[in-house]
Amino acid sequence: MTALPMAKVQAEQQGGRSNPYLLMPITLFFALLAFAVLRSPNLMTSAGIGAAIIVATPLILATYALMASAISGRGTVDLSIGPLIGFVNVTLIQLQAAGVLENPIVVFLYAMAAGALYQFIFALIVIYVRVQPIIVSLSGYLALSGINLVILPRPGGMAPAFMAEWGYGTSIFSPILVILLIASAAWLLFTTTAFYTHLRLMGSDERAAYTSGVPITTVRIGAHLISGCFAGLAAICFTALISSGDPSQGTTYTLIAVTALVLGGASLAGGRGGVFGSALGAVNLYLITFCLSTFNFGAVQSFVTNLAYGTILVVSLLLTLLIPVIQRYIRNFSPLLYFVALSVVVLGIILHATFDYAALGEAGQFLPGPLQMQAALVGPLEIAVASAETEALRRAAGPLVLGAVLLIVIAVFLRLALGQSDRGTIAPAVVVVVAMIVLAGAWGLREGIAIPDIEATQ
Amino acid sequence: MTPLPALSLPAKILGLVIGLILTGIGAGFGFATGASVQIVILAAIATLALFFWGWSYVLGQFTAPTLQSDTPSPLHRAWVAYRWPLLGLALILLAFIILSLTVPGFFNIWNVISLLILLAILVLTRTLGRQFQQNRSAFIGIMVLAGLFSVGSMNIEGFSSGANIKSMLLFAAFLGIASIGQTLVALLGGLDLSIPFIIGAANVGLLYLISLGVPPWLASIIVLAIGAALGTINGFLSYRLQGQALIVTLGTGFAISGGVQIITSIGSAYGGNVFGTVPPWLSNLSAMNGSTFGLPFPPVIAIWAIIAVILIVGMRITVYGRFLYALGVNRTSASRVMISEMRYWVLMYAASGFFAAMTGSLLLGWSGGGFIGVGDQYLFLTLAAVVVGGTSLLGGAGGYGFTVIGVLVLQVLSSFLVGIGLDFEWQQFIFGLLILPMVALYARSPHIRTQI
Repeated sequence: MTALPMAKVQAEQQGGRSNPYLLMPITLFFALLAFAVLRSPNLMTSAGIGAAIIVATPLILATYALMASAISGRGTVDLSIGPLIGFVNVTLIQLQAAGVLENPIVVFLYAMAAGALYQFIFALIVIYVRVQPIIVSLSGYLALSGINLVILPRPGGMAPAFMAEWGYGTSIFSPILVILLIASAAWLLFTTTAFYTHLRLMGSDERAAYTSGVPITTVRIGAHLISGCFAGLAAICFTALISSGDPSQGTTYTLIAVTALVLGGASLAGGRGGVFGSALGAVNLYLITFCLSTFNFGAVQSFVTNLAYGTILVVSLLLTLLIPVIQRYIRNFSPLLYFVALSVVVLGIILHATFDYAALGEAGQFLPGPLQMQAALVGPLEIAVASAETEALRRAAGPLVLGAVLLIVIAVFLRLALGQSDRGTIAPAVVVVVAMIVLAGAWGLREGIAIPDIEATQ
Repeated sequence: MTPLPALSLPAKILGLVIGLILTGIGAGFGFATGASVQIVILAAIATLALFFWGWSYVLGQFTAPTLQSDTPSPLHRAWVAYRWPLLGLALILLAFIILSLTVPGFFNIWNVISLLILLAILVLTRTLGRQFQQNRSAFIGIMVLAGLFSVGSMNIEGFSSGANIKSMLLFAAFLGIASIGQTLVALLGGLDLSIPFIIGAANVGLLYLISLGVPPWLASIIVLAIGAALGTINGFLSYRLQGQALIVTLGTGFAISGGVQIITSIGSAYGGNVFGTVPPWLSNLSAMNGSTFGLPFPPVIAIWAIIAVILIVGMRITVYGRFLYALGVNRTSASRVMISEMRYWVLMYAASGFFAAMTGSLLLGWSGGGFIGVGDQYLFLTLAAVVVGGTSLLGGAGGYGFTVIGVLVLQVLSSFLVGIGLDFEWQQFIFGLLILPMVALYARSPHIRTQI
């Protein structure tokens, strides 16, 4: 970060913490989500989202664990993350079978302490033996995947009793979601500390950090401890997901988690990464699998999944090369604004898929079944007939859509105004907009626009 | 390394108390599970010592160093200079004593000699190894190799027999050919994780082509050409994303492995399994009972030896080899003398794909059946061979000769572990634990304060 061009420095100043590398994961996320919902509308039911959370959370947390150590620089790609999760998983199962770990609090403490202890040793080796981190992680990968098979030779065992119902995924609000939210919130809180600034500085340029007095030893140990805690949580969620022990998940989990980390826009060289991108990267991988599972490729299903994984990974990496070009034209890209804008569009698609297909009955629904290429190519794109309910729904959704468009326009306007102006404050504009919204609301109340109940039209 | 400052008395007492409590817990747990008394006592002593050492070491990092007024005595200076080798010696001795006490029948003449050899290697590495500034890793690798081999041939029946050496060389040849690409790419500072996938794809693809009725020699050439082409694609894709080369090659690897399996399972009822007959000359190339012009060893060993010699000599004396090192050390200065970075980067990846495809084809001759997962173990083993040999992953230092030593060390170690009757999981565990100290002997990077 030493030789930033002037324009970029300005963009940094104006855009605050804008991160253009989030462009790719966000786009991919909404593209996949729209596709998934169109293919299979029951993703957007309580059970569908619940299952998605249960399956995706271990991966998301594993990606967090990778991210925390990857930010610290020196090319720290922790290849041993999969076996580490496996290690906590199998020891948890065996200790539980021995009757030692029963209490949920003890289980959580054990998992996080085991992960943190491993990462602590990792950090000590990197700092004092001064071997490249990737070699340390390679060594850890081999050692841990060996010892996992010693501890639990084949998949089996029982998860602790209190986890028994976590893995069903029948509703959105499962304990797994709480773990995920707490972990994300903890990281976001952490980003406000000076320690995090030190960490990013060290990851971007270790010499600069050292010469400016950052205690790099402490910072590196801290990053690894955080990573270890995330790994422990990932192991707990993984245990809840499979309700048993599995010693051989190592390779797969490592590769998938590294993939998710990179898809989420983090830099393997260090200094860049965050929970938002990492979570999106992991969810994207889940969505790819989900989308492909709605097709029926028969015997070649897993091969198609591999092919799609690889292709999407490479293409999205190549697209990140376009980011400097994009940045030349849009100097202050706001991930949040982009996210909101796309989410409105996808919300429309979700509503369409949920209600319109249901109105069509069995015939109109895309049921997961064998992919008929002929029919898909020559058949009409939509065979919807606007019924009375649909018309009612459209009328009901009208104001909502209008409001959403209005909000986006205002937000874009504000963003541009803030970016182009020399002044750093938008307080007057905010006051004007808020007053307009309040007035519009008051007018709407007086006119008595009754929003029909959407559920009632079903 | 400055000596660690002494801890204050309260800190010491606190550490001792915590250590005693931990030891008590451990001992209680040991008695509760019904372990034998010796093991419990040994474990308790080990726990206490380890904890107390760790306590004073870690806390010592945080306390301010106290000024030392008097000059240290000669004994103390000797201790400071030779602290780590002495500690290592003590550790090995301790491990030996513990093993002798706990494992019945461990204390015999062969093991004592093995111990002496190990100690001799350690001492030699520390004393003679200082003379070799340039090729330290090769020296240490050869020492370890010699030590492992002599220990193995003393302890294991038939370890140094012709058949065993032949089989070790055979597997070393597969790993060696697979690691060529990884070495070349690592010399430029890249990584290629697509090697195992290309191996698997070539393995299945070759058999598929043969089963379609393509003449085997033509099929092999096609597979090798496709391997090189895939490598070229890898090179072009990862050229602009050099920091992420790990992930790009992983992605192409996934895609290749999926794509080949889709192709081979179209019109087949077996879903990815390919059946066919391997031609006799291909099995002869890499089977244990193969013969090279009448000599009783499989030709793959000869192929590997020829490639290795060409590569080692070529990288030393030809201008291409020197350019490769120049690029690995410093891109900017290399581009100043008109060396095309892109050309070398893409060429090295193409070579990597080519040799991976070659390994896959040779493995087909060895196994006689196509299997997509045949290369899975090479994912990290090629990396380990490069690292153990002493080629720097940052580029510019090392060479294929080092990798050959690394491959041999890994192979001898693995057959040694098989020979003493360890299961696969224990082998992997010991592999992992041994890579680190071996690399730490010669690949330590300088402290940050010396890099400014």
